[in-house]
Amino acid sequence: MATVHDRSRKPVRSLPQEPRESLTVAGLLSQALRDKCGARRSNTATGLLGTYGIGLPNSESALNITMEMAPQMVIETEGLSKVYGRQRALDGVTVQVAPGAIGLLGPNGAGKSTFMKCLLELAPITSGSARVLGREVGREGREIRKRVGYTPEQDCHIPGMVGCEYVTYCAQLSGLPFQAARRRAHEMLDFVGMGQERYRKADTYSTGMKQRLKLAQAIVHDPELVFLDEPTNGLDPKGQVQILELIASLWRTYGITVVLSSHLLQNVDRICEQIIIIARGRLLVHDTLENLKARRRGAAEVVIASRHQELQAACARRQWPCEVLPNGHLKIEHQAASLNPLLQLLHELALAPLEIIPSPNALEETFVQALEMSHAAA
Amino acid sequence: MPLHDTSYQHWHGIHLGLWGRRWVIARHGLGACLQIKGMRQLVVLCWAAGLAMTGLLFLVGQLLVADSAVVQWLSNLNPILQASAQLLTTWLEQHPEISVRTTQDLLLYYFATYLMRVGIFALGMTIPLLITRDLARNAIIIYASKAVSRGDYLLGKFAAASGLIALTWLGPVCTAWFLGNLLAPDWRFFWHSRAALGHVLLFGLGSMSILSLLALGVSAVSAKEKSTPAFWYLWWIIGGLVGPIAAQTRPWLQHLSFNYNLDQLALGVFRLGTDLKLAQDNIPVVGDLLRNINPRTMAALNSPALGGASLALFLMLALAAGIIAWRVKPE
Repeated sequence: MATVHDRSRKPVRSLPQEPRESLTVAGLLSQALRDKCGARRSNTATGLLGTYGIGLPNSESALNITMEMAPQMVIETEGLSKVYGRQRALDGVTVQVAPGAIGLLGPNGAGKSTFMKCLLELAPITSGSARVLGREVGREGREIRKRVGYTPEQDCHIPGMVGCEYVTYCAQLSGLPFQAARRRAHEMLDFVGMGQERYRKADTYSTGMKQRLKLAQAIVHDPELVFLDEPTNGLDPKGQVQILELIASLWRTYGITVVLSSHLLQNVDRICEQIIIIARGRLLVHDTLENLKARRRGAAEVVIASRHQELQAACARRQWPCEVLPNGHLKIEHQAASLNPLLQLLHELALAPLEIIPSPNALEETFVQALEMSHAAA
Repeated sequence: MPLHDTSYQHWHGIHLGLWGRRWVIARHGLGACLQIKGMRQLVVLCWAAGLAMTGLLFLVGQLLVADSAVVQWLSNLNPILQASAQLLTTWLEQHPEISVRTTQDLLLYYFATYLMRVGIFALGMTIPLLITRDLARNAIIIYASKAVSRGDYLLGKFAAASGLIALTWLGPVCTAWFLGNLLAPDWRFFWHSRAALGHVLLFGLGSMSILSLLALGVSAVSAKEKSTPAFWYLWWIIGGLVGPIAAQTRPWLQHLSFNYNLDQLALGVFRLGTDLKLAQDNIPVVGDLLRNINPRTMAALNSPALGGASLALFLMLALAAGIIAWRVKPE
């Protein structure tokens, strides 16, 4: 049966607790007239509460979400700046972030890691202020870190320890008594999919094992918020998918807010609901992925088994640009805020699509646009 | 497929306090040091030396009391020994407080200062485990991301180094004092030797703190595991060699050796010159024998270079603290 779904949710489909969002085409056709596709994603606290740089029409959605959920912010910064010598790594970042799965995007050297380090007090703030989980950075560092997990980008572990001993030790450093720490260490190592390797010294682990170990130590104390700095670095595609599924489940299933820093847009696109784009130390965009996609909505990738030319001809009649992608999909720019006109066309042609991907590459386009505007402003 | 639930579980327990977390770092640090086989052997050796010292203190204690078992045994061996022992104990018994104090001060001074060298050697073996390895593997960032601060981390490491010194040095010395007096023929030995214990604790705790901080500083100098112990041993050995040579021409060079400075500190704390003077003035015959001590030795005992040693140690500690502050950062 054909399904219409958002590409970003694909990898987490296999999770048992994940609410399924697939709709049949028949059902969708009748529903399409009253539902916007994006409305289905408003089940979590997401909202635009700090936009800087490119201003786009999003205040309505932000207001709605704020009124509906009124979530306590997990991160609040005001003019946050960090200077290393002559280099300004963060430049007056003001943002308020609600709980959720948050993607922190930016090119290499944009200031993503510095932003996280400042919030964890790993790097002292030069100016401005920040609060994490309601506690002030710079004054309540220990209390913040007791409730926050962190996986650094670089390879790091406490030397000379076997995996489970290491995770136990990290739990104890976060304040868990030994017995509880040991039990939770094994639970978390099970959770991240480590088997008997846990009894080997961490120095001997492969990159994939080390990434899993880093994730286990970050969540072993049951944090409310986890900062993940490039957690898929050095992983093969299968390993990436597995780690991303685990990360996605942290928020969607277990309610742990995740801040995922990455320069890989597809990773963020898969699991995040809020997007923060940083470049040159400045906050360029903070919005929900849904809103970002909505701004780009007007294009869709359609997968059909046959009758490509017929569909292309129909699109041409409506003056919708249409091209065949290398993978055989049809990219149609229907120029509407919703998929309804496209679905209507498919209905008229009696075409049953195998898959419709709304707003393909929306995140990439937004990212590139934000960077271009940043460069232009500089 | 796993036989048990491998999903994420929330935890709702009570957290350890701050000192509990610091203790975790210290315990882990000390445990890592004791995983070295040579270190375990060294600890056993130190405690064996402590037991030997206990035996020595027991024997000396027996000689200081006329009706003790050892004196009786010696008396039974030979009439000349009997007369000598009785003469000795008679003189010593006239001022037992001075006899016990002087004897134990002297013995514990030598025992403490020699065992301190074993502690320094032990620290050298474990220096890479203190901070060096953490720097090499970026572990500082892991500590810094947990509910402990940089100060907590350093305090834990400091406690680990101090614990090692306590195991190899202060513990055996204090135990020797306690057991030696416990086995003494008179309970008053505890009271008469209280000054010796005070000196041991004052010097031991002071030196332990100084050596621990210096070891942390050296451990933070480099992230290479072979460099830091080499630096420590070279500093110790070269300082020890340069000192006596430089003593004739440029005495201040002696203060480059932390060992020399600690020795001066020990002389200042134990005040052996005062003890010997008391014995000379109050105990017949034995006091006269003590007058034969080399005048230069007596001068050295009476006036240790405390000012120079204190200044040198202060500068070394400041340097160590600077290195730690500069190197031990999560960034």
